[in-house]
Amino acid sequence: MSHEAALHAHESHGHDDHGHHEHHDTFLTKYVFSQDHKMIAKQFLITGMVWAVLGGLMSVLFRLQLGYPEASFPWLESILGKWAKGGQITPEAYYALVTTHGTVLVFFVLTAGLSGTFANFLIPLQIGARDMASPFMNMLSYWFFFTASIVMLSSMFVETGPFSGGWTAYPPLSALHDASPGSKTGMDLWIIAMALFVVSSLLGGLNYIATILNMRTKGMSMTRLPLTIWALFFTAVLGVLSFPVLLSGLILLIFDRNFGTSFYLSDIFVNGVGALSNEGGSAILFQHLFWFLGHPEVYIILLPAMGMVSEIMSVNSRKPIFGYMAMLGSLFAIAVLAFLVWAHHMFVTGLNPFLGSVFVLLTLLIAVPSAIKVFNWLTTLWRGNIRFTPGMLFAIGFVSLFISGGLTGIWLGNAALDIHLHDTYFVIAHFHIVMGVASMFGMFAGVYHWFPKMYGRHLNNSLGYIHFWVTMAGAYLIFWPMHYQGLAGMPRRYFDFSIWESFKQFADLNRFISTVAMIVFATQILFLINFFYSIFKGRKVTDPNPWKSNTLEWTTPINPGHGNWPGEIPEVHRWPYDYGKDGVDFIPQDVPVGEHESSH
Amino acid sequence: MGLHICIPILGRLTPKKVGYFYSNILDSQYFCTEIETEMSNVTTASTKEAKWWNGGKSPFDVEYGKVMMWYFLMSDAFTFGAFLISYGTVRFSTNGWPDPNKVFKSFPFAPEGVNAPLVFVSIMTFILIVSSVTMVLAVHAGKMMDKKGVVRNMIWTIIGGIAFLSCQAWEWNHLHHEGAWWGLNPFINADGTASTTNFTNFFFTITGFHGFHVFSGVVINIIMLIMTLMDKFEQRGRYLMIEKAGLYWHFVDLVWVFVFTCFYLL
Amino acid sequence: MSDNTHDHHDVIAEIKKVTIILSVLTIVELILGFWMIDITSEGLRLGIKGVIVILMMAKAFYIVAYFMHLKHELKNLIMTIIVPLALFIWFIIAFISDGNSFKNLRNNYDRRFKEQSTIQVKQEEHGAKHEAAGSAHGEKATETKKEEHAAGEHH
Repeated sequence: MSHEAALHAHESHGHDDHGHHEHHDTFLTKYVFSQDHKMIAKQFLITGMVWAVLGGLMSVLFRLQLGYPEASFPWLESILGKWAKGGQITPEAYYALVTTHGTVLVFFVLTAGLSGTFANFLIPLQIGARDMASPFMNMLSYWFFFTASIVMLSSMFVETGPFSGGWTAYPPLSALHDASPGSKTGMDLWIIAMALFVVSSLLGGLNYIATILNMRTKGMSMTRLPLTIWALFFTAVLGVLSFPVLLSGLILLIFDRNFGTSFYLSDIFVNGVGALSNEGGSAILFQHLFWFLGHPEVYIILLPAMGMVSEIMSVNSRKPIFGYMAMLGSLFAIAVLAFLVWAHHMFVTGLNPFLGSVFVLLTLLIAVPSAIKVFNWLTTLWRGNIRFTPGMLFAIGFVSLFISGGLTGIWLGNAALDIHLHDTYFVIAHFHIVMGVASMFGMFAGVYHWFPKMYGRHLNNSLGYIHFWVTMAGAYLIFWPMHYQGLAGMPRRYFDFSIWESFKQFADLNRFISTVAMIVFATQILFLINFFYSIFKGRKVTDPNPWKSNTLEWTTPINPGHGNWPGEIPEVHRWPYDYGKDGVDFIPQDVPVGEHESSH
Repeated sequence: MGLHICIPILGRLTPKKVGYFYSNILDSQYFCTEIETEMSNVTTASTKEAKWWNGGKSPFDVEYGKVMMWYFLMSDAFTFGAFLISYGTVRFSTNGWPDPNKVFKSFPFAPEGVNAPLVFVSIMTFILIVSSVTMVLAVHAGKMMDKKGVVRNMIWTIIGGIAFLSCQAWEWNHLHHEGAWWGLNPFINADGTASTTNFTNFFFTITGFHGFHVFSGVVINIIMLIMTLMDKFEQRGRYLMIEKAGLYWHFVDLVWVFVFTCFYLL
Repeated sequence: MSDNTHDHHDVIAEIKKVTIILSVLTIVELILGFWMIDITSEGLRLGIKGVIVILMMAKAFYIVAYFMHLKHELKNLIMTIIVPLALFIWFIIAFISDGNSFKNLRNNYDRRFKEQSTIQVKQEEHGAKHEAAGSAHGEKATETKKEEHAAGEHH
C-alpha cells in the first residue's frame, strides 16, 4: 500500500508526460494563466520589480522632503497634484509615502517578490520535480498576489489617499476612521490587500512545503537538498504558521473600525473629540498580534536570501559549503527563534519588564545561529578559487551587510539600549541594512545567478559590476550615517527636522543621504534596463551549465519546457556540494558515486 | 540513514550520529562524505525506515493533497489560536468578566425566565461530536470502497452540521434579542460591576468565525456527497477526497472543543 | 496507511471506544461546569478550571489521534504536525502574562480604570434592551456606556 500510495502521488499529477510532447499553448495559458512554475516565478519577479520601482520612487520622494525641507519643486505638484501643493510634499502625503513604501517593500517585494520568485523557480528544478505539487494552487497564489497588488495600488488613488499610519498599522491610527486622512478608505483597502496577500502566501507556502516533502526525485534525501531549498522550506513553514495570526489581528481590526467593537480601543482621549466611548480594549494586543507575524516576517524575508547566498558562494568558490549540517541547524534554530522573540519590537509599550527580559534573552540567542552562518560563509570563501561574477559579488555584499546590520541588532535587542534607540534613525539603519538591503542583495544575487536558467540568456556583466559597486557603496553611504543620527536622538517618521535647533546639525547629512539615495535609485534603473534588454537581446547561453554547478536545475535543457526534463527525471546520487573533490572541479548530483571515489 | 541527524524535528537522532555531528561540526566535507559512505551502504542493505526520506516518494506515505490539508489545518489552528489567545489576553487585562452561566441559560421553546445554563450548548457539542463520528464512519466506508456506507454517513454528517448551524443561529438570535451584539453588552460582570463590550465582541467574532468554518465544511461535505453519488471516487478507485474533507470536518469539531470550553465553561 | 493491517471490526470498535471516551469527557466537563455555578471559593474555581482545561486537551488528543487518524500515520508525519504546535506554549504564556501585567499596570496607575471596576451596576431588564437593539451599533454602545456611567454615579 505504501509504495502504491507514493506512486499514485506522483502519477496523479499527470506531469510525467509533459516533457515528451509539444504544447500548443495559447498566449493566455502560456504567459498569463500559466501553471508552469517557471512562468509563475517570472510573474512574481516582474510584479515584484514593478513594486520595487514604485516603492523606491516613494523613498526618493520622501528623501527629497527630508533632504530639502525648505525647497520647493514645482514639478512635484504636476505629478502629485494636491499632495504636493506649492511643490512641497504635504505632511499627509509624506506619511502616506512612508507607510506605503514600508508595506510594499516588506510584503510585496521582499516576501512575494523574493520567496515567491525563487521558491517557485528553484524548488521543482532543484529537487527534481516536474512542477509544484499543485500547479493550479500555485497559479492561484500568484493571482491572489496580483489582486492584492491592484487593491494596494488603487488605495493610492482614492480621495483621502493611502493609509498613512506606518506599515505596522498600529491602532488607534488604523482603528479610528478620523485619525488621519489615510485611515479612511485607504486603510480599508490596505486591510483588504493584506488579507488577499495572506491568502496568496498561504496557497504558495502550502505548495512549497508539500512539494519539498513529497516530490523529491529518487535519491534526493533531505541532506542532499541544496541549502536554498532548505531555506525556502523554513520560509514556507514560517509563512504558513505566522501569517494567519496577522489575519486574525486584521479581522479584529475590521470589527473595531466598522462594528463598534473595542478590541484595540479603550477610553483614550482624542484631541478635539474627547474620550472615546470604547472600554476595555488594548492597543498593545494588536502589536502583539502584528509582531507575532512581523518578526517571523523578517526571517521570511531573510532566509531565502541566506539560502541562495550559500548556494551561490559555494558554486563560485568552487568549494563545498562549509558546515552543511551547521548551516542547516542554524536555519532551523533561526526559524524556531523567529517565533519566540516578537515582543522585542515592543519594549517601550509598557510591556511587562520581566517578560521583556525573557524576550531580550531569546532575542540575543538569535546571534548564535546567525554567527554560525556568517562564519560558515566566510570559511566557504577561505582559500576558494573565487569567481567574481556579479551574482557572487552580491552574495558577498549580502554577508557584509548582514554582519553590519546584525551587529546593531544585538544593540537593539537589549531592552535597556532599545528604550533609548527605539523609533530613531538607528532602528531605520539597522533594519534597512540587515533586512531590506541585505535581502535585496540576496535577490539580486539570485537574479544574476539564475537569469541564464530563467531566460536562456546572460545579463550584461559590465552593467552588473556597475550596479553592484554603486549599490554596495550607496547602501553604506545612505544607512551608515543614520546610526549617528539615531544615537543623537533623531526620531523616525518625522516630516521635517529643520524646525528643531538640535537636529539642524544634521541638515547637511540629510541632504547627503538623499542625494546618494537618488543615485542608487538611478542605478537600479540601470539594472532594470539590463534585465529587460537581456531577456530579448542578451548573449545566448550556449553551455547548459554555465556556472559549472552541481545542482539539478542545470541538467535541464537551456530553455526547459513545462515539465522541466524532456526525458526521465535524473536520479540523485550525492550531495550538491562536490566541488574540487579528488581534483575534479565539480561532480553534478546526478553522477553516480564512482567505485574508487575517495570518501574524502 | 544519515539524513536523520540534521533534522531533529523530522527524523531520529541516534547517539552514534550525534557523535558524528559534534565531532565533525567544523569539518563539513569530512562529515558529509562520512554520511555518503553510510548512505551507499544503506542502499544495498536497505532498511525500510531509512528510505522514507530518500526521495522518490512521500516521507509520510501520504499523498501531497493530504500533506497540504494537514499544513492548512495547522495554519488555521494559528488563526483560531490567535483569536482565542487574544480573548484570553483581553480577559486577563480586564478586572471583571460576565458569568457565562448567567448569560447562556436559555433554551429554545422554554419560557422566558428559564434558568438552564449549559444545557443548550451541551446539545450543540454533542451534535458536533456525533457528526464527527459519522464522518469517521464515512471515511472508513470509503477505505472499504463501500459507496452506500459513504453516502449514508455523509448524509448524517451534513444533517449534523446543519443542525449545529441552526442551533447557533437560534442562540445568536436569542442573544441579539437580549440586546447583545458586536459593541453591545447587556450583561454585567459576575461581581456585579459594569462589563466592557469585549465579552460579546469576542463571543460573536469567534463563534461566528467557527460557524463560518462549519458552514464551509457543510458545503464541502455536500460537494463530496454529490461526487460520491456521481461515482467519481469509484472511478478513481479511492475515496481520498473524503478523507481530506474528513480532516477538515474533524478540525472544525476540534476547534469547537476549545471554543466551547473557553466561552461556556471557563 | 497502516489500516489495511487493521481489520474492519477493529476500526469500528476503535471508533466506538473513542466516541464513548469523548462523550464521557464531555459529560464530566459539564458536571464540573454545573458544580462550579454555586462555588464561590476562588481557589476551588481555579482548580476546577484547571481540570476542565486538562479534559479539553484530552478531548483534543482523542479527536486528533483517532478521528483525524494521526496516531496511525507514520511517526514522521506525527512529528511534523506536533512539533510546530509547541510554538503555542510561548504564544499563550507571553500573551496572557502581558495581558495580566497590563491589568495590574492600569489598576496601579489609572484611577478611573480601577474605580470603574468597583462600581456596582444592576442588570438591566431585557425589555428595555429589546427595542434598542436594532439601532446603530456605535451609537448604542455610547448610550449603554452613558447609562452605565449614570448608574455608577447614582450609587
